[in-house]
Amino acid sequence: MKKKTSEDIVLEIKDKSELMVDLAYSSLLYDNKIIAKEVYDLENLIDNLFGKIQRESLEDVQKGKLTVNAALTLMRLAQAGEEIADAAREIADVELRDVELHPILKMSVQESDEVLTKTQVDSRSILCGKTLGKLKLGSETGMMIIAMRHKNKWLYGPNKNTKIDPGDILFAKGPEDGERHLINLANAETDEI
Amino acid sequence: MIEKKRRNLIGRFQKMPKWKKEEFSEIEYEPTPVKDLLTEMKDISELIIDLAYSAVLFDNEEIAEEVKYLEVRMDKLNYDIRIMAMMAARTKEDAEQLAGILQVAQAAEKISNTAGDIVLMLKDKNRPTLSRIFSKADEKIFRIKIFANSKACKQKIGYLKIESETGMRIIAIRRNDIWIFNPQSDAVLMVNDWLITRGTDEGYEDLDKFLKGKLKVLE
Repeated sequence: MKKKTSEDIVLEIKDKSELMVDLAYSSLLYDNKIIAKEVYDLENLIDNLFGKIQRESLEDVQKGKLTVNAALTLMRLAQAGEEIADAAREIADVELRDVELHPILKMSVQESDEVLTKTQVDSRSILCGKTLGKLKLGSETGMMIIAMRHKNKWLYGPNKNTKIDPGDILFAKGPEDGERHLINLANAETDEI
Repeated sequence: MIEKKRRNLIGRFQKMPKWKKEEFSEIEYEPTPVKDLLTEMKDISELIIDLAYSAVLFDNEEIAEEVKYLEVRMDKLNYDIRIMAMMAARTKEDAEQLAGILQVAQAAEKISNTAGDIVLMLKDKNRPTLSRIFSKADEKIFRIKIFANSKACKQKIGYLKIESETGMRIIAIRRNDIWIFNPQSDAVLMVNDWLITRGTDEGYEDLDKFLKGKLKVLE
């Protein structure tokens, strides 16, 4: 496998930290401790990546492979991602506490501009057996899949090679008018993507 | 010459930026439901990061100003929500539940502070590195112009269903000298508008064709 460059790591921090915020809000909406725990795990991963990027960019500067400015940019972007990841963990922390969630939390998440939704894939659904890359749900329905549950296995931030199977539970984020479309597709009420 | 003399007498005119106005505005107590405050905070926290990245990617001070404004607004919301939460607590159980709300509010505020830090990267003038990194992200930020022959002209965003048909979220619209940030479904698109959007490559291709008039309908 090709070694990850510093830029790849920064990108991973950026994408993962944004995913974490979505997951953290989903954990509140569905009162789901498994998702909240995942946010915790991802935060540890980001901490490690952040440490790595700081060291590697400094080493690259020393070797003359990277300019000081470029290294600063990388570190600042990584730091922003790390702070966002921290914020996501604080949100998930509310779910993990042994206190019943205040109903307002759920209502606020539901009423915001971007909605979060959860739907189970019916065995007759057109989505079955296809990969996310082929379905292009993001550009066709506006809904981005942030997590999936396959039997007892969870998958967070699925990529284009991820296949949807009957019975999978999809967690998605997107505009209000895209939500219905995705649910109809999953329930086999429409075949039109 | 006269102009200069006048300036020496009265001083230089400087319009106060929106964020500064918000900062100096007296904090007045307005009872707003906690739910409304939290919803606005969550919405700002999601928008502000995209705006901050747009500001550095497109080297744009005006977007950066909006980020500063939202950051100050967020401080005010965070203050208001604390007061409202404290007044709502009657028992220990209330307090425990409300503490959770305040923690989420605090996290949203933290995200907006991060956006403020991202905007500072404007000073670095290091766009090549940034653009290269962003060009590989899952979701990217794009700038698209609306051409006269596009069916999008004079239509509402909600009617066009841009986000659900292409997955592209419109973060801001630039019309001549005016900016419309976080446009809602009632906002009307006009010819020559520049849209700042966030989404995938495929979504961008469709939307770009549509806004150039090469594609008649979005589906």
